[in-house]
Amino acid sequence: MIKQVENPILEIHDLTVSYEQSPVLWNVDLSLPAAKLIGILGPNGAGKSTLIKAIMGLVDHSSGYVKIFDKNLNEVRSRISYVPQRESVDWNFPTSVLDVVTMGTYGKLGIFKRPGKKEKTIALESLEKVGMSAFAKRQISELSGGQQQRVFIARALAQEADLYLMDEPFAGVDMATENAIFELLQNMAKAGKSVIVVHHDIHSAMKYFDWMIMLNLHLVASGPKDEVVTEDLLRKTYGGKLNLLTQVNEIIRQKDFNPLKN
Amino acid sequence: MISFDQNAFLIIVTASLIAISCGLLGVFMMLRKMAMTGDAISHAVLPGIVIGFFVSGSQRGLEVIIGAGLLGILATLMIDWLRKKAKVQLDASIGITFTLLFAIGIILINIFAYKVDLDQECVLYGEIAYLPIDLWITGSGMSMGPRITWLAVLNLLLVLGFIRLLFKELTLTSFDENFGLALGIPAGAINLSLMSMVSYTTVSSFEAVGAILVVALLVVPPAIAFLWTKELIPLMKLTVLLALLISVLGYYLAFWLDSSIAGMMVTVAGVIFLVSAVLKSKKSKFSFGTQEKEKSFTH
Repeated sequence: MIKQVENPILEIHDLTVSYEQSPVLWNVDLSLPAAKLIGILGPNGAGKSTLIKAIMGLVDHSSGYVKIFDKNLNEVRSRISYVPQRESVDWNFPTSVLDVVTMGTYGKLGIFKRPGKKEKTIALESLEKVGMSAFAKRQISELSGGQQQRVFIARALAQEADLYLMDEPFAGVDMATENAIFELLQNMAKAGKSVIVVHHDIHSAMKYFDWMIMLNLHLVASGPKDEVVTEDLLRKTYGGKLNLLTQVNEIIRQKDFNPLKN
Repeated sequence: MISFDQNAFLIIVTASLIAISCGLLGVFMMLRKMAMTGDAISHAVLPGIVIGFFVSGSQRGLEVIIGAGLLGILATLMIDWLRKKAKVQLDASIGITFTLLFAIGIILINIFAYKVDLDQECVLYGEIAYLPIDLWITGSGMSMGPRITWLAVLNLLLVLGFIRLLFKELTLTSFDENFGLALGIPAGAINLSLMSMVSYTTVSSFEAVGAILVVALLVVPPAIAFLWTKELIPLMKLTVLLALLISVLGYYLAFWLDSSIAGMMVTVAGVIFLVSAVLKSKKSKFSFGTQEKEKSFTH
């Protein structure tokens, strides 16, 4: 079930990405509507992060193209915000929370220019939105996992973009924080921003996302939540990784298979 | 040692200038986990120096600096290529690259030995004690003071200008390269410009402290500072302070023991590092060290 939309905010056409000749994403072809909270779901190794990185131009693709706001990435970079995985950096780096969040403003600031009062204000407002104002002066090495994650989200907010791409922003975050951040993202979608989030918990995904992309090397589904979250598509996405017992039950139910009868 | 010794003063000033230039660049090399790339560059520039020397016919030529700069960039690109495209691990890539380029440099010195006044000793060890007799004489015959001191001043000014201009980009790409790329910051170019500065600093300093000891000045002062602070600006200030301390102590200890000044400077740096490490390991409730998790070769 792949639903294409008119005037997409993001269009991916026949995208294939390989690492050392073995493809990690096959023929992904989708288009996404604007002003929605969109989730990318799939099992480990399904290529969720790779899809985000391919959109951001951080991995080369073997074929296909990506169009954002109907333009090439380089023309619209300043309108896109990116949250990498928390583990991708060394949190022992000697810098403060405020400095990291200010990095979000560097794209618009341009090379050689130093961040000033305006950039600092944006950074402080972004920290406020994720409830981390009290930590502005802290060194990042003193933060917990969930706090690190919120700093990364604040840095993305400081980019003041129209499209947000977030790679596992809820990894290592407690329930209360997860709910708070989800509400923040929902409000952003209401305000006309598009937010794409790599996520792996189906329950919270059902609760918050408007649109879902289901991925397992191939694109399994892309569409409004109510239309794509079906048992059939979930099984296709999570395939062999579903609970073994459910699988056996399913086979018995579907095929009317009974070993005693045979 | 009560009377003012002009030679001692000049040597200490020059050593401090070199140590500060190296230390400031070293901070960023360290943050990028590339301290050993600095080592590789300082050796890999040798063929560039020899070729530059051969072309210009003098140690003072601009060709020497350009040659060294190009070789430094070549070494960086080679390490990067081996690591990313040939999938060789970083330490092995560094080991292969700099030994190969250094060996080519030694062969070139032997081939051109009858044409150029350059030997391995000079490149590897340097001798800052000769500094007061190597003067910069202008065209009209006026003496401007030691040539190497002027080189060190120019070097430090360029390093300061470079860091001031690109501070934001250097910090961002050191912390999170992918995010920098996503913002459209040319991380590759920033990296190469840092490597070029390291190459240039190495060449500018090798006559005074030698290629081997330049490495120590790149790595050790930032590593000590890292043990004591977790903030970038204080880290850089402390590195500068340590560079001064190492130069002064190194000079007087060498004077006292009548030994190599550069060697003594690095020994002093090493001792300060060991003392710092021991002191810090006693207070393990604070986060310290230069890497995230403890790693050891033994387990």
